[in-house]
Amino acid sequence: MLFKQLSEYSQPKMGVLSENQKNALHSASLEILQRTGVSVRLDDTRNRLAKAGCQVDNDRVFIPERLIEWALNQHPKHVVLCDRNATPAMALEGRNCYFGTGSDTPFVIDINSGLHRSAVIADIENVSRLADALHNLDFLMCMGIASDVRPEISDLYHFQAMVSNTIKPIVFTAWNASNLEAILRMAETVAGSLENLLRYPFVALYAEPTAPLIHSQIGCEKLEVICRLGLPLVYTPGLITGASSPVSHAGAIVVANAEILSGLLITQLINPGTPVIAGGGGMMTMDMHSMIASYGAPEFMFDWCSLREMGAFYGLPVFGFAGVSDALIFDQQAGIEGALWTLISALSGGNLIHDVGYLESGLTTSYEMIVAMDETIGLVKRFMQGMLVNNDTLAINTIASVGPGGHFLDVPHTLDHFRENWRPDIFCHSNRPDWNEAGASPLGDRALRKVKTILSQHKPEPLPQHVTENIKSIINNATSRLGRMD
Amino acid sequence: MKDEYEMIFKAVVEGNVEGAEKLVSDSLMGGIMAGELLNQGLIRAMDEVGTRFERGDMYIPEMLVSAKAMKAGLSILRPYLVKEGIPAIGRVIIGTVKGDMHDIGKNLVTMMLEGAGFEVIDLGTDVAPEKFAEAVRKYSPDIVGLSALLTTTMQQMKNTIEAIDDLGTRDQVKIIIGGAPVTQEYSEKIGADGYAADASKAVNWAKAIPHSNSKVF
Repeated sequence: MLFKQLSEYSQPKMGVLSENQKNALHSASLEILQRTGVSVRLDDTRNRLAKAGCQVDNDRVFIPERLIEWALNQHPKHVVLCDRNATPAMALEGRNCYFGTGSDTPFVIDINSGLHRSAVIADIENVSRLADALHNLDFLMCMGIASDVRPEISDLYHFQAMVSNTIKPIVFTAWNASNLEAILRMAETVAGSLENLLRYPFVALYAEPTAPLIHSQIGCEKLEVICRLGLPLVYTPGLITGASSPVSHAGAIVVANAEILSGLLITQLINPGTPVIAGGGGMMTMDMHSMIASYGAPEFMFDWCSLREMGAFYGLPVFGFAGVSDALIFDQQAGIEGALWTLISALSGGNLIHDVGYLESGLTTSYEMIVAMDETIGLVKRFMQGMLVNNDTLAINTIASVGPGGHFLDVPHTLDHFRENWRPDIFCHSNRPDWNEAGASPLGDRALRKVKTILSQHKPEPLPQHVTENIKSIINNATSRLGRMD
Repeated sequence: MKDEYEMIFKAVVEGNVEGAEKLVSDSLMGGIMAGELLNQGLIRAMDEVGTRFERGDMYIPEMLVSAKAMKAGLSILRPYLVKEGIPAIGRVIIGTVKGDMHDIGKNLVTMMLEGAGFEVIDLGTDVAPEKFAEAVRKYSPDIVGLSALLTTTMQQMKNTIEAIDDLGTRDQVKIIIGGAPVTQEYSEKIGADGYAADASKAVNWAKAIPHSNSKVF
């Protein structure tokens, strides 16, 4: 055994910031927190900050460095989301990457007509079943905003649609604190009890500050509800560089980072130890002609990588982006931008990586994009496995036995290892005659076929009858509180 | 179905070379006819392997090991098949054309043809047209397979077919060509009888053509 002592995997990774730059960005963020401050629009939350030692002037809160250090120390280093059956599914730490869909697009592209239309609750059920079936998606967000239910409580319907159609962990949005409480009651009935939900959390709230530098009243109310329970949440910035932040990379990161650190402090003051996916976040680039918040811009990709590194600098779980594009239909641009994001997210080392399937900078959901990006994620996951170097993989004896001019097609070493290679499902590895014979279809057609096959065949594990009934009655109660629809 | 057939079938599908060899020997000792062992055991197994390959349940390396097992069993059967007067499945001459040193594709086709029960005479790489012609005269094959990887060397396929034409026995042999740059159109243009885009298609093509001059094993 020539190299027996060797047995290590290489790990592909990329970095964009130097240590000096990270320190400078950190100092600049502290400077903003101390002397510019952030706006906190809820009395209760502002009072917590004042009591902890922040200076408060009207809604403006000035945060000293020591409180940020305190909050970073309170935050857990080991953050896990379970699936609906209480099996730990994602450890959001280190460079572990998990991928999932996005949330709240007003539109979808219809899989039968191909037309752009408003999303309905059936879309959210379908996307949930799709995500449940796709092997490379680790968690679910709702994708659409349903237009065919009462808008004041559409978030409740979204959660019902998701939890009824997948066992994968769910990251959900809530319109306000009382809807959040209703959704948490649904999660509790699924988990069996609040204790079970806390021990095996299978849901996380997604909430965000309002750029630049505002923790809104509704946002703080939601933080108060979720943090008091100590359930996991995502609280990351969603800013548009050049519009709600400086246009420069560094200036945008300072604003985002100040929002991250002040948000983290709020969560830890409400309930120390609450797990928050606080690193990363949206840094969409304002297109100064069309005014869209561009997801496909290289500046956004770079800003996100920077913010990811700041997250790692603080030891915080990082929220990321993959499989997302500005393209208006599932076309070549969608594939290119979606794949670039997927590889960059993985190489950079994001933890909870969402928005798989977004088109039109987050306004439209594409079913084809979801399955094509699931395939892309599979490819990227294989790439990210890196290389194992040991006596077996060096294959010196095999090379010696085949010798110059021989072939490795049927040697035992090949038989032992060739199945480790990634195999495509809808990507084309065919020769031309086979492809012609199979109908000479472009990727979009094959993606659509896979969507339809899954939707017609996949049966997710159902919820018990009484749980389904409980969820329905929670929605009915919320509906009756709203009164009659006009 | 006899247990022996099932066991041979299983050994070949699993690529158990020694097992296939031993089972064939033992079955012959037990008095089972060689022709039956060939059809019910070996060939049926390779048909199953082909089906699994098409379905994506088996891949090239596994298929090749099954082919090895088939070939090992067949080499034991061959003298008995001759005695029983069972016609051979077919004889193939194969090679990479002049100027071309690439042989992975050609080797793949060779191994898979052997797995299907064909007798394959491999002339190697960089085989000149006259060498192909000489081999056709000497071995009277049913099929000649020409391989080329390069657009520059695929021109030699035409020269090779012309050299075989010159023998005057062109109607007794079928010529198939293959290789990355080769197409169906090109095969028609140069007067070949067939084209296959990959090794498994080459085997299907070879199995489908009638073997007018098939010899006894």
